[in-house]
Amino acid sequence: MADPTAFYEPEEDELLSSLAVPQYGGEGGYDEESYHRIQELEQNAYAQQLAAAEQEQAQALEQVPEDVKRFLVLFHQAILENDLPAITNMYESGWNKLTQAHYQQAEWPEAELIAPLVQNDQVFLTLYRELYFRHVYARLQPTIDDRFQSYENICELFNYLLNSDGPVPLDLPIQWLWDMLDEFVYQFQSFAQWRANPKNKSEDELDMLAEASQIWSCYSVLNVLYSLVQKSQINEQLRAEKEGKSAEEVADIAGQYGSKPLYRNLGYFSLICLLRVHVLLGDPTLALQTMENVELGGGAFLTRITACHVTTYYHVGCAYMALGRWPDAIKTFVSVLIFFLRMKQYHTRSYQYGSISKQSERMYALLAICTTLSPGPSDDSIMTIVKEHYGDQLTTLQRGGDEALEVFKELFLQACPKYLSVNPPPYEDTEALQTWMSNPPPDAVQRHLELFLSDVLAIRGVSNVRNLLKLYTSIDAAKLAAFLDTSASGADAEEDVLQQLMVLKAASRTYGKSQNDGSLLDGDRIVTNNLDFRIDGAMVHVEETTSHRRYAGFFIRNAEHAQRVFNTIHSSPLPSQRRQGAAADKEGKQDEKKTERKPQAWAPKSRQVRVAA
Amino acid sequence: MATSTSPVPAKALKEWHTPESRTEVIHELIHGVDRYNPSNLSFMEEYLQSQVTNSEYDLLANLAVLKLYQFNPQLSNPDVIIMILTKSLAATVHGPDFNLCLALLREPSAILHDIESEDDTLIAVMPFLENLHELVRSCQFTKFWSEFNGSSDAANALHSNQNYFPAYKGLVPELRAQFASSIAASFRRVRVSQLARWLDLPAAEVPAWAKEAGWEIDGDVAVVPANGDNDVKAGVVKENVELKQLTKLVAAAAY
Repeated sequence: MADPTAFYEPEEDELLSSLAVPQYGGEGGYDEESYHRIQELEQNAYAQQLAAAEQEQAQALEQVPEDVKRFLVLFHQAILENDLPAITNMYESGWNKLTQAHYQQAEWPEAELIAPLVQNDQVFLTLYRELYFRHVYARLQPTIDDRFQSYENICELFNYLLNSDGPVPLDLPIQWLWDMLDEFVYQFQSFAQWRANPKNKSEDELDMLAEASQIWSCYSVLNVLYSLVQKSQINEQLRAEKEGKSAEEVADIAGQYGSKPLYRNLGYFSLICLLRVHVLLGDPTLALQTMENVELGGGAFLTRITACHVTTYYHVGCAYMALGRWPDAIKTFVSVLIFFLRMKQYHTRSYQYGSISKQSERMYALLAICTTLSPGPSDDSIMTIVKEHYGDQLTTLQRGGDEALEVFKELFLQACPKYLSVNPPPYEDTEALQTWMSNPPPDAVQRHLELFLSDVLAIRGVSNVRNLLKLYTSIDAAKLAAFLDTSASGADAEEDVLQQLMVLKAASRTYGKSQNDGSLLDGDRIVTNNLDFRIDGAMVHVEETTSHRRYAGFFIRNAEHAQRVFNTIHSSPLPSQRRQGAAADKEGKQDEKKTERKPQAWAPKSRQVRVAA
Repeated sequence: MATSTSPVPAKALKEWHTPESRTEVIHELIHGVDRYNPSNLSFMEEYLQSQVTNSEYDLLANLAVLKLYQFNPQLSNPDVIIMILTKSLAATVHGPDFNLCLALLREPSAILHDIESEDDTLIAVMPFLENLHELVRSCQFTKFWSEFNGSSDAANALHSNQNYFPAYKGLVPELRAQFASSIAASFRRVRVSQLARWLDLPAAEVPAWAKEAGWEIDGDVAVVPANGDNDVKAGVVKENVELKQLTKLVAAAAY
């Protein structure tokens, strides 16, 4: 963190800050009668200036719409009382409604402006600024001042959380905690990207960048995330939970910070943010290692927040891609995309829906890449969507050749994480910056693209050889060489073919995460293709494994479905009964009918989910 | 990585991400925040040195070294970078190791610029090693050896400088073992003459090498023991229904 000047101590400092000073300024002038007259005058003038500024501010506060003021007062109240349901409601709906109404194209009022409304509560103001800057980033173009101030503000917030005496008496909804950390990494990423290009920057901006090398630096971002992880003892907690320790034991291990939901949740989300940062910095093994204690399965904590769920799986999938573990990447993407399809109907109105669906769009593109590089059976419903969205590209990819390479490139650039370089251009050295600009090194995305393309190139001949082998049960290498247009001839051509076969062999094998246990980095060697072969001298024996069509799943699904339909019908009232009832006692029976209909109303919904599955 | 056992591709990744040779201290170091502490650098570099002399390999520890260079460019040591790349080159034929190292490195000229070094060996050597890596992963072993033993500037530098290949006694045997594992995955029987080209051995020395690797020589072919990859049989994958899947149906039938 930039500067561990305590956040909460500044209560004292606060007295000196712009708002509070005028009140004391007047008194100060009064006390200083013994000073020179000029000095006194200056003091007075200063006090007057401040008073004027204060008046101006009060006027500006007048301008703030009433409903916004009321909202802020209530919001403050709810946070003071740690009233989670109220905070959640205001955070998720109130804030966005007011944004829609008043601040679609403009900033929310400055924190200093609204300070009197919340008794100058610095904690609240810091939280408020966090929302304020997030809004600027989401809807407007952040200036360099916004970027710097946002950084300072978030550091202040984390300082308060981490460096107060003991855990702070604050509780926030998990959605907010996730958004806060997610935004932290996003702004870091956005800043690093912006900083990576010294062109089109004003003199002022260049100067500021030269001076403030610590702002949004990788070190400081990692420092915040690791500090939260350590403070909350989250790794130890998760490990203890996995070992099946009791709640008391876990709380014991968690310590005074980690046992508080605020710290525990921040620690947990920090692990996921670390995963993301490590992927962005090009270190997939470290990214997966960071997640070693985090459960990824169906009921995992991270699935409670859709944005978190999607982000986690996206980055885990990307890390697997960098390791060449295509089937694991495919599985990861497919599992979250299925989840997203099911959740879609409940989420379309969420304010994050846009960014989540963008991220899933990128995963469909990555799936087109992965399934080309490692063809094999995967989920039909998801693959149908991939074909809908990327049909043309898929055809080109599978045809191979230079065109395919272009499509690989295009899809990767569209869908890969926005890789970052750790080291900014040399802003502090004008001369070096000039040379840098005249010949800029390839940026991080470009370098990762090249590494990815080298993976693709290494197995580019594979599908060709595979298609040829499909036609034979055994074939001589020399004959095979004649079919494949190798540049060499004779013995060299044969050697060439044998080498290509070894590549094919390796391309049909990879490491896959085993179902039951083991960390994300663990994997067992698996066979990824039905077509296999063995070579005896120069004779290639082709062995193709055929898999029977699977029926059981289909029958089980439909039998269960039939059972549900039967149950629904069974629990419905008989038509004849209803007619009798209508004659006897209209009102009483109608009530009954309502309650009886309930299961009926449920059944079709669950069926819909099934169909989507 | 030792050649005493028959060379085959590893069945699991445990040894890859947490090798047995890794000490507790190193393990704690690369799993904690201490991995960002530059004062551990010399310790980590020593560990690399011991990997080189003892024919061990610990990718994650080496990546931690490169990570420290990434964050502290002024501490970069070109000799260490070259050794780490060579190490990952000799560790696997198809694994991602080499590219994972590259992902943490920048342009060689930028690295040298930050440490104000005049020695530009790295500028020639890095592309050379990258090229070798491309040859390895596409199994062009014959071509690999001719480049490796070639007389390009980079090859000369690597072979003559006492810090590079001469310091790495196990390099050639390790490379041979890796190539052999790739061969073993495909071949049941392989011609000795072919093997000699792929392993860069005189034909007369192949039998001795094969004996070491547990392969048999039968006339002019070497017989590779069956290892699950080179003895595949066409199979049929039948559907397998487990009782677990039927719980709901059985429960419903019990009414």
